[in-house]
Amino acid sequence: MSNELFEKAADAICDADVERAEELAQIALDEGIAPLEMIEKGYTAGINEVGRLFDRGELFLPQLMGCAEAMKSATAILKEAAAEQGSESEESIKVVLGTVQGDVHDIGKGIVASILEANGIEVHDLGTDVAVEDFIETAKEVDADIIGTSALLTTTMGVSEELLKTLDEEDLRGEFKVMVGGGPVTKRWADKIGADGYAENANEAVSKIKELVD
Amino acid sequence: MVQTRLGDGSTIEMTEEEIKADIERGIEDAVDRAKVDPLSEDEIEKLTDIYTRPSKFVSVETGNELVLTFDEGSVKLKRLAVSIGRIPDLQIYERVFCSDTAELAHVDYSFKPVKPIVAEEQIEMEQALLSTVLPIYYGAMPNLSLYSQPDGAFPNPAELLPKGKIKEAREAYEGMMEHAIKDMVYVGSKMYEAGADGINFDTTGSAGEPDFLATLKATEKLKEKYPDISIEMGMSGEFVLGMHGDLEYDGTNLAGLYPHQQVKMAEKAGVDVFGPVVNINSSETIPWNIGRTVTMMKACAEASDIPVHANVGMGVGGVPIVETPPVDSLSRASAALAEIGKQDGL
Amino acid sequence: MVISHALASGMGGVRTAGDLVARMQMTRNMRLDEAKEYVAGKLGVDVKELTDPVIMDEVREELNIGRVQPGAGNAKGMEAKFNIAKLLDIKINSVEKFKSKTS
Repeated sequence: MSNELFEKAADAICDADVERAEELAQIALDEGIAPLEMIEKGYTAGINEVGRLFDRGELFLPQLMGCAEAMKSATAILKEAAAEQGSESEESIKVVLGTVQGDVHDIGKGIVASILEANGIEVHDLGTDVAVEDFIETAKEVDADIIGTSALLTTTMGVSEELLKTLDEEDLRGEFKVMVGGGPVTKRWADKIGADGYAENANEAVSKIKELVD
Repeated sequence: MVQTRLGDGSTIEMTEEEIKADIERGIEDAVDRAKVDPLSEDEIEKLTDIYTRPSKFVSVETGNELVLTFDEGSVKLKRLAVSIGRIPDLQIYERVFCSDTAELAHVDYSFKPVKPIVAEEQIEMEQALLSTVLPIYYGAMPNLSLYSQPDGAFPNPAELLPKGKIKEAREAYEGMMEHAIKDMVYVGSKMYEAGADGINFDTTGSAGEPDFLATLKATEKLKEKYPDISIEMGMSGEFVLGMHGDLEYDGTNLAGLYPHQQVKMAEKAGVDVFGPVVNINSSETIPWNIGRTVTMMKACAEASDIPVHANVGMGVGGVPIVETPPVDSLSRASAALAEIGKQDGL
Repeated sequence: MVISHALASGMGGVRTAGDLVARMQMTRNMRLDEAKEYVAGKLGVDVKELTDPVIMDEVREELNIGRVQPGAGNAKGMEAKFNIAKLLDIKINSVEKFKSKTS
């Protein structure tokens, strides 16, 4: 019975059906299924499938937003129940995200932000053309776990390196992990500049962020 | 062991069996994603041969050469810090690099910023055409993103969508498209009237399917106005990103189309030469990347009724994502796409 | 990178017949093999000879359609394109514009 419910929950996320997702969350609670198990095996499985379909061009951004909304609504119900039962869910991972200074490309970064949020990660999206000091200031303000930078131009990639140097100089390197991404960015380059992580696409960013924070 | 690379350019060593297995994995990925036919066993053997030869450089067999077009040519030498004007640059493409076509372009490579200076561009084109023999395109990017804030008048859909304002984002895209079409038709007309052999819409679809649709419509309008104009359309990614989600052309939803489907839309609009893109995955090997690249490119060439010129350079077409692409990978991609990918040009 | 492609798979531009094949793709949507056959027919050579720079330089000089190293008196630039348009039986936009401005 639980497995059937998990599958239905995953389907509700893929269908971006907010009402159905909420209804299934309530059914799970009524049937005594552990809220966190329902999130992991039902809704998270669904949002992972959404990410996979988006990465293949089989699902589009407006639909992705609807899926994310269904995910947020259903998991909010279950997290509240988990808290009441004393099985507090883990605190959300906090990511400060932005396209680096001098670069105004926002589409890829926006997709990453959407997929991260859909996966329950708290995203502070600073937009585009973000100065190094603004990344750091916001990261301090929100007590971020990760600073994520995006660059689409070979001429702006270097800003991520500046960020790492500034964090070193301000003795903050241990406070935040730094992840880099964007069209011309590769793992080889990420390793070269000493970044903590690199992701090929939005889906990979979710798993890398979770690995880094664990 | 054979020396090859990862998609990020790093050198690695693999056995011949491992290279063949990675090529086959890449083919499977292309078949799975794009829903196209796999390469035949003979083609896999030939591709494996190209990627396991110990030579630094690989070329096509005599007789299998194809047409080379280079987008953005007239500003590329300047980027190498060579102090040179655009007309000598085009002459170098013709007589030193022996390119088959060349392209006059402005350093701010988008139709919108060219619009106010198009008269200057016309003069440069007229002058260039007097002293060159090869066909010359005028090229720029549709770059729909320039029509939304902070660069343009419309609200930014990339900011509206995460707020759930889907209707508003779609309306913004529709407005942006109208303006982009006007600019592409205006600049395209002026440059054709200056004598250009063709117009190249480069990196089409970079802002998703509204960008693609705007370019298809601009092509239609230019063809209606000038039946003899030649239009090249180069793409920006292997599938069309769905940013609007509900835009159709000729009854087909444009979001999510792969190269073999994109080319049919381009043909319908009147495009003369189509430039498909297959992206590189920098964490996978070059054999894996070339397996999927050749599979998608071949499917595109077979589906097409117009010449197909694959994009082959930094991060696309089986070439690592590095600013100085190594000749071992580049020459192999060039030869593989000509001989197995059935391309008409690159 | 341009040179690597030119050596690996390129037809050779004005050094051979690449520019002419490109024109047939651009103006008549001819696929590669058809365009090569058409150009070879118009030049009076075999398809395989289209990328032979020795043969093609002689042919281009005889037909006066522009050479990679144009000598004194050889057609250059617009002059060569006048001859290419006639030879390939196509309209070249810049040639048409030149005629309209000069005649």
